[in-house]
Amino acid sequence: MLLAQLRRIQVVIKTEVLVLPSRIAVMLFALFLLTVPFYWPDPYLLRILTLASIFAIFAASWDLLSGFTGQVNFGHALFFGVAAYCAALLNLHLKFPPWVTVPLGAVAAVGTGLLVGIPCLRLKGTYLALTTLSFPIILMGLVFAFPDLTGGELGVSGLSRLAGSRVGEYYVCSVLMLGAGFLMWKIGDSKTGIIFHAIREDELAVRTAGINTTKYKILAFCLSGFFAGVAGGLYAHVMRIAGPSTLEVSLSFQAVIWAVFGGMVSIYGPMAAVFILFPLLELLRVVPQLRNLAFALIILLILLYMPEGLIPWIRDRIEKLCPRCKARNFTRRSHCRICAAHMH
Amino acid sequence: MASDIIVNGLISGSIYALLAIGFSLIFGVARIVNIAHTAFYMVAAYAIHFALHNLGVPYLLAMPLAIVLVVGLGLACYRLFIDPIREHEAAVLIATIALAMVFQEVTLMLFKGHYRGTPPLLEGFLTVAGVKVAYQQLLSFVVVLLVLGLVWLFLGHTRLGLAIRTTAQDREVANLMGMDVARIAMLTMAISVGMAGVAGAVVVPLFVLDPFMWLAPLIMIMAVVVLGGLGSIKGSFLGAYILGFAESLVVFLLPMGSFLKGSVALSVMIVVLLIRPEGLFGIAFEEER
Amino acid sequence: MRRGVFLAAAAWVWVLVSMAGSGWGADEIKVGVVGPMAFTQGEGHWNGATMAAEEINAKGGVQVGKKKLPIKLVKVDSNEFLNVTDATNAMERAITYDKVDFLMGGFRTEAVLAMQDIAMEYKKIFLGCGAAHPELCARVAKDYEKYKYWFRVTPINSTFLVKVDFLLLEMVAKKMATELGISKPKVAIVAEKAVWADPIVNIAQENLPKMGMEIAGVWRPSPVATDVSAELSAVQSAGAHIIFTSFSSSVGIPFAKQWGELQVPAAAVGINVEAQKDGFWAATGGKGNYTLTMNTYARVKMTDSTIPFFDKYKERFKEAPNYTAGTYDALHILVQAIERAGTLDSAKVVQELEKTQYMGGAGKIVFSKDHDVTWGPGFVTAIGTQWQDGQNLCVWPDGWQGIKYEGCVDYKIPPWVRAHYKK
Repeated sequence: MLLAQLRRIQVVIKTEVLVLPSRIAVMLFALFLLTVPFYWPDPYLLRILTLASIFAIFAASWDLLSGFTGQVNFGHALFFGVAAYCAALLNLHLKFPPWVTVPLGAVAAVGTGLLVGIPCLRLKGTYLALTTLSFPIILMGLVFAFPDLTGGELGVSGLSRLAGSRVGEYYVCSVLMLGAGFLMWKIGDSKTGIIFHAIREDELAVRTAGINTTKYKILAFCLSGFFAGVAGGLYAHVMRIAGPSTLEVSLSFQAVIWAVFGGMVSIYGPMAAVFILFPLLELLRVVPQLRNLAFALIILLILLYMPEGLIPWIRDRIEKLCPRCKARNFTRRSHCRICAAHMH
Repeated sequence: MASDIIVNGLISGSIYALLAIGFSLIFGVARIVNIAHTAFYMVAAYAIHFALHNLGVPYLLAMPLAIVLVVGLGLACYRLFIDPIREHEAAVLIATIALAMVFQEVTLMLFKGHYRGTPPLLEGFLTVAGVKVAYQQLLSFVVVLLVLGLVWLFLGHTRLGLAIRTTAQDREVANLMGMDVARIAMLTMAISVGMAGVAGAVVVPLFVLDPFMWLAPLIMIMAVVVLGGLGSIKGSFLGAYILGFAESLVVFLLPMGSFLKGSVALSVMIVVLLIRPEGLFGIAFEEER
Repeated sequence: MRRGVFLAAAAWVWVLVSMAGSGWGADEIKVGVVGPMAFTQGEGHWNGATMAAEEINAKGGVQVGKKKLPIKLVKVDSNEFLNVTDATNAMERAITYDKVDFLMGGFRTEAVLAMQDIAMEYKKIFLGCGAAHPELCARVAKDYEKYKYWFRVTPINSTFLVKVDFLLLEMVAKKMATELGISKPKVAIVAEKAVWADPIVNIAQENLPKMGMEIAGVWRPSPVATDVSAELSAVQSAGAHIIFTSFSSSVGIPFAKQWGELQVPAAAVGINVEAQKDGFWAATGGKGNYTLTMNTYARVKMTDSTIPFFDKYKERFKEAPNYTAGTYDALHILVQAIERAGTLDSAKVVQELEKTQYMGGAGKIVFSKDHDVTWGPGFVTAIGTQWQDGQNLCVWPDGWQGIKYEGCVDYKIPPWVRAHYKK
């Protein structure tokens, strides 16, 4: 039984993963993440990777909503902040452990997604983007209006740790990140994902095809809110404080930057972007004065040459679409791996 | 109290109007959501401050110099970073965010995070309907109206202005009619940034300068533009005053909640949008395919 | 994708190399100075510590047992105003990669709470020099074993800030009564919307009538508002004689500037952190004249070391010390505790820190049970300073509890307020 399972995994790896360099890279990266504490248990490195994992979920969740359905959300921090505050309050007052508060926080984020998503469905494109921008700001006003509950500018602090140790926290976050990433990628690849795609390209046509686009847009809001909420809840427990900084405009912008920089409508693009940009910002501490400036300039320059995003640009250089069946193939192949058509 | 609300609303509304119309113009013509718009406003303000305090240039000379500088900078940014990736809407968006960050960081490096202020051009104040208004506020108000009037004349009564409005209405048709849409976009960028520059120049003596001063007005003008209807100059004008009045109403009627003035203004915008999804004067864009 | 992997790999090799390069310094004491280094607050942190370190090293360093070790400061830019996550990363990096032995500084409470947790996890002594919130020290009382490595050197905690605040208000009210004959002044409470200011507003609403004053209204602008002319119009319409201010953020500048420009006929008194800084005069274009704020340092003889410290600081950095420059005292206190303990062991140094009796620039520093700086006559009292024609002069204590520091001057009612009521 076990042997059969193993063999199945082996087959999947051989036929689905090892055939494409991008998938090999993802597998190696996952292996690296899962083993790093064994040969490099540096707490600073683990902290950076833990936070990068959390933000990777966050960036990918933005992509799931805005990249796929084209419902550009400029206030994605709303989900993150709501979940962070919710998880924090549940943990602090009701003493719920993190494995309860994080999912509940995410559910609260979904609720917020519904609350915001439904009225916003009437808005299109830039109207939607600029309107969503204001939601976290309004909520921030409420945070300050009810300091007894939210702690005002201090936030809700003194939360219990996500896990007993740094390594434990790291594993919770990185494994969840890999799982959530895979799930979101699968959603993007599924029938639902294709409808999301279609809504972005031509909503009218999708409606004409008899599909209830409203339902799908709400679904996108909820799914995205859920994953962003998971990220927010994890963040609260890793930082052990949920404060107004989780609702700041800069965090919303950050999600957009990560996603577009890495390449939208791919899920793995934004995630890779976080794992490149977040450590990069740490490396730039060697030039503390120029740190944020260098960061912004790097983004500008990369976009100038790779406006589709970094990861799609790299992918297109090592992989090609089969002219007949549109399956991805390694550039060096002369025949398609699926339909054996000539690649050139 | 009513006069307080009106006077304060008018003054804060005018600055929003000046910023929002510039933002709206470039969006209308080139579909660029220019997050860096208020960063140019900040650069103008700092340039004037620098000219005044470090170079000893008089205010009336520093003002046009700063505006020219900002227009040049805006055009350079447009040519170097925005125009090459015009086809990729998302990339343009991030490029403007990154530009705003660059301006913020350079300002932070050059001027540090200290708050800076400039003495007013005109000392003293006037009492209007029982409300004290500093001459400087009044001056800014007049300048704003003047600039807005000029822009209105330009857009409404010149061939170029007509071209800009046409492009804003329908880019593709304008292109088909033989207009050089790329050049018009350039020109609009110059006007838009120039207006941001004027706004910056006008607020120097009123506000306190710091490297993050671009963020708060950015959010407000985005709200103004959406409220008034994207691409509509008239809408932005009206929207600016509506939000200006909303803010000043909050301060006077809900003093304990005056920190909520931004939130309330944004809520007003959302309520209006829920009733009229295309804003007050928005053109319900045909779905752009 | 291969290139992405290559890039990532290269980046990590860089981390590895730079980590290997970080020196192990058993022959020096590394002190991390944490603060937002691009801002006045961070500059104060760094400058104060620099001055103290130079003094200590000039004397040959710190006597630890039989060895003399020099102090090495590590600049930890927390960037805490912009990004709280960044602040915690900076903290972690300072401890694990720069391998600092001790920490001091911090400003924004949300960030300091998060950074405190990290420092305590590594059992590193963290001397707070910036955040006033009681929670930071309440944690010591709640869980001593875990949080005992935290001490607050400056400022006094916000409960005491409130007391001083009311003493200042009382002084101004008395002046208004004796000089202008306003026996029952109307007070407008203008406090930024922040948790630290909430108790001040509540206590004021409760106590002002008992103190013989009337409340004209309460306004709570945003801490980062850039325009408060509407609030000022409202304050004036309400007929206030005194504006009782609580500002810790940037709003203090537009407030003071517009207050002076519109000549609002009400004296401004309270806390205005921006008015504590030297840059205030230039930032308000001189319109902030006559603003009265609670403060930590001024060129008056609070202890024997105040004036020498003040002068030396001003000469070296061309500006008056701000309260975050309390890192100067913090470093001296730390060094004395290390010398008494004869070791760098955190737990032992904590025991010695608890016995601190140090004559600092702002008064005598003695730590309370929960590791907070003690307030009161004979300890740190805090002072009130008023801007008078370009100089921030000490005007309080004006004989309170028999204290009047050498060099203090009298409080002046703003001339336009005087003119308005003396008809």
